[in-house]
Amino acid sequence: MGPYVLRRLGQSLFTVVIVVVSVFMLLRLMPSSGYFTREDYVNMDATARTAYLRNMGVLDNPAIQFGHFISGLAKADLGRSIAIYPRTPVLTILAEKAPYSLWFGLAALVISMGLGLGLGVLMARQKDKVADGIGTVYVTIVRAIPSLIWLFLIQQWVTGLLGWPMVFYGDRPVSWILPTASLSLSGIAWYAIWLRRFMVDEENRDYVRFATSKGLPRRRVMTGHVLRNALVPLVQYFPQQVLLTIAGSLLIESIYSIPGMGGLLVNAIRQQDNPIVQALVLLYSVLGIAGVFLGDILMMLVDPRIKLEGSGGAKAGKA
Amino acid sequence: MKARAMGIAIALALITVAAGGAAPALDRYDATYVAEGASLRYFYTPDTTDQRVAANTQDGLVEQDRYGKFVPSLAESWKASADSSEWTFSLRKGIMWVDSKGQKTAYEITADDFVNGFRYVADPKSGIKNLSKDIRKLIVGLNNYYLDLVDIDSGKKKDLGRDQALAAFDSSVGIKALDRYTVTYKLTKPTPFFLSFLVMELFLPVEQDFLASVGQDFGVAKEKILYSGAYYIADWQRDKQIVLKANPAYWDAKSITVKTVNLQKVVNADVQIQMFQRGELSSASLSADQVKALGKTKWASYIYPAEPSTVTYWFDINFTSANPEFKAFANNLNFRKALYYGIDRAKLNELDDPYQPANILRNTVIPEQTVFDEKGKDYSDYPGVKEIRASGNHYDLKKARDYLSKAIADLTDGKGGIKGVSAATVDFKPIAQFQVDGKLPLQILYVHFTDATDTKRALLLKAMIESTFGKENVVVELGQVIDDMFAEAVEPRRFDIINDNFRFGFADPSAQLGRLITDGGINDGMYSDPEFDKLVADATAKTTLSERYAIFAKAEALFLDRCYVLPWKMGGGAYTISKVLPFTYPRGGFGITRFKYKGMIVEKDPITAARYLQLKTAFYKELTALTGK
Repeated sequence: MGPYVLRRLGQSLFTVVIVVVSVFMLLRLMPSSGYFTREDYVNMDATARTAYLRNMGVLDNPAIQFGHFISGLAKADLGRSIAIYPRTPVLTILAEKAPYSLWFGLAALVISMGLGLGLGVLMARQKDKVADGIGTVYVTIVRAIPSLIWLFLIQQWVTGLLGWPMVFYGDRPVSWILPTASLSLSGIAWYAIWLRRFMVDEENRDYVRFATSKGLPRRRVMTGHVLRNALVPLVQYFPQQVLLTIAGSLLIESIYSIPGMGGLLVNAIRQQDNPIVQALVLLYSVLGIAGVFLGDILMMLVDPRIKLEGSGGAKAGKA
Repeated sequence: MKARAMGIAIALALITVAAGGAAPALDRYDATYVAEGASLRYFYTPDTTDQRVAANTQDGLVEQDRYGKFVPSLAESWKASADSSEWTFSLRKGIMWVDSKGQKTAYEITADDFVNGFRYVADPKSGIKNLSKDIRKLIVGLNNYYLDLVDIDSGKKKDLGRDQALAAFDSSVGIKALDRYTVTYKLTKPTPFFLSFLVMELFLPVEQDFLASVGQDFGVAKEKILYSGAYYIADWQRDKQIVLKANPAYWDAKSITVKTVNLQKVVNADVQIQMFQRGELSSASLSADQVKALGKTKWASYIYPAEPSTVTYWFDINFTSANPEFKAFANNLNFRKALYYGIDRAKLNELDDPYQPANILRNTVIPEQTVFDEKGKDYSDYPGVKEIRASGNHYDLKKARDYLSKAIADLTDGKGGIKGVSAATVDFKPIAQFQVDGKLPLQILYVHFTDATDTKRALLLKAMIESTFGKENVVVELGQVIDDMFAEAVEPRRFDIINDNFRFGFADPSAQLGRLITDGGINDGMYSDPEFDKLVADATAKTTLSERYAIFAKAEALFLDRCYVLPWKMGGGAYTISKVLPFTYPRGGFGITRFKYKGMIVEKDPITAARYLQLKTAFYKELTALTGK
């Protein structure tokens, strides 16, 4: 276990460095016109534009800029925004925004898991019956119709019907319900359909037939064996899902005016806000890699038959 | 007795009607914004959210009242030298800066604060992008001061230290505090319209000791600025909401009716109408489609047109296009006149105003009722522009076709071949790439945004041009940009025709015409006309406004007659539904003080369209009387 963890940590660090350096250098290849709007071009002559770029530090040699970035990192300083929120420390921006995405994301994840796993079990146990049919219709609707459509419909209709606010207000808890529910809908479908599929797969295995023929009660077979084994491929994704809730949801945060992290990376790239892009790429790549790593560990803990060493690591599920 | 009671009732009813059916005023105003403000550094306000916040939390020396007239703000009086090149302002005494809790600080607002404001703006390290070259050259010594700092920062100038250069501000730049309450501006040339510069954010004050104490953090949070305006920021959640509370120490507190302003961010302005209907907002802007949708509901009687803005939309023609066919035609006056008469602008405007599209037509570059001479005469009533302004929708099919025939006769060999143009691939990638064969039909690339309204407009324009001139003569190709017309199309010259618009900067025609000359900052077509340039230069040299405007009007008439751009619409022409009593708040065509909520009255119930019309009629009557027309 120890050598495996060390090896994975080394690989992870290498991957993060490659991602961060690549993105850092790619940003420096962007045209300098991206730092200016139309109005800026009208107001600023070439001298003023050059002075502006120099004072932002983007005219420095990229290697020197990277050195500044690394030395800042060592002091837990991610720099200051240069375009979206000029001069605001990136850490301040993240500290303001991340909690919104985290809380909404975690709440939605808990609901998704609770209802999604429950629905999955029900669908598997009632395979080809009414409950399974209703669940399948729900999953099909959520996954087949573009989410933008039903998210807008929920906002328009439900708020109108119940007289709830159309956007999120921090001091009105009723306005938290729809964004959380909207975030959960696709998660519920995801957990339900995959758990159903893995449970049905497991039910057809020899050990289940054997246990059933030995006279074990169906409930015990389903919960003690089928469900437990069906959960193995799903738990692999759980750490990543938890960690990446911090990234927020571009769509839902936009619709409900939630000031979270969703859309921040896209905006930062569009406006060439290098310090924000660098910080987010670093954050998301670290969390993504940590999520995969923790997923492997968790899967091994859930299913002791899985060995992480000596056989090329854990075998991933199909989810 | 009964008759007396009835008399009193009738009298009360008449008073109510005379007052426009006034309902009780609210002390709260709720609105939305779409674009997040960049920061609270109020010297740089790139969008209307920043401008709204800056205008209401900071006061300058002067401001505009509800008629657009310049009135005292933190300056209680001013005087200009005989040639208008030196302006001296006397400040109110005892006005204190307040903090983000609305508490008075120990700092009094003094003349030094206005000097220090510009000291901050003029330092390239402050990164104030809207300090234009024109303004640098307007104030004595400012341009050299700025360029010295730039050269020091770049290492080009080594004989002067940065601190030395900064210290030279007081001796070299023409902004000085003559005493604690007197500030003077020395200008490089007579500028009778200088007051209109003072409503820009660049001329706001800053408290130096506070600025030094917050350093780089100036404006990154509500606690990191001080407030000199009618409101302070009580709550500021990035990308969420801005709450303004009335400043209890404000010098003009009696004019502040609305005590709380709540600005809520939304991603799509279309949700405003639902929020308004549910009582979450005090006003909402409506798109043409929403106006149609509400046509048969109870809300229809509350919808009225929003006030137009001084922004003018015009079509730019690319005189240096890489499309050789279009370049040949663009440089032909007959072809440009064909476009001038061949585009039905009222039809295009139906996309914004389906009911009264002609109301938002604008034929001129300089907006009406914005620039006035020393006698109060509107610039747009000067000979030359007055006739163009009065011509309305000059769509004329016969003239358009006649001019195109002349252009074709000028530019083709009689067999459809365009003289001097051979087959080529036009590379406007990634917007478009197409083949031209050097023969009619002329191929034109019109570039537009991908949103629904702009796409509909592009399709309409294409259909209009092709049906007016015939597809055998002209074919319009469409290309799209994602979100930045300038970066994606204008700067790399990837267009033949685009729709463009610009803010009107200050109260003088040079604000736009001065930038439309050869090599001017907004000459996106890259045309050149020495005659127009000379007229603009001649006008700029005149210091008597009436003489100046007479020449500017000639210049603009020539410019429009030669069709270098094709103006077609005024900005701000959407519809609105609101509880805000119209014409109670500041007005103006430039600067930021027009965004103030000072004087604004918010009623309990929405204003009806009928009442709006009454109020509008009365207001414009008063305005006309004031401006001497």
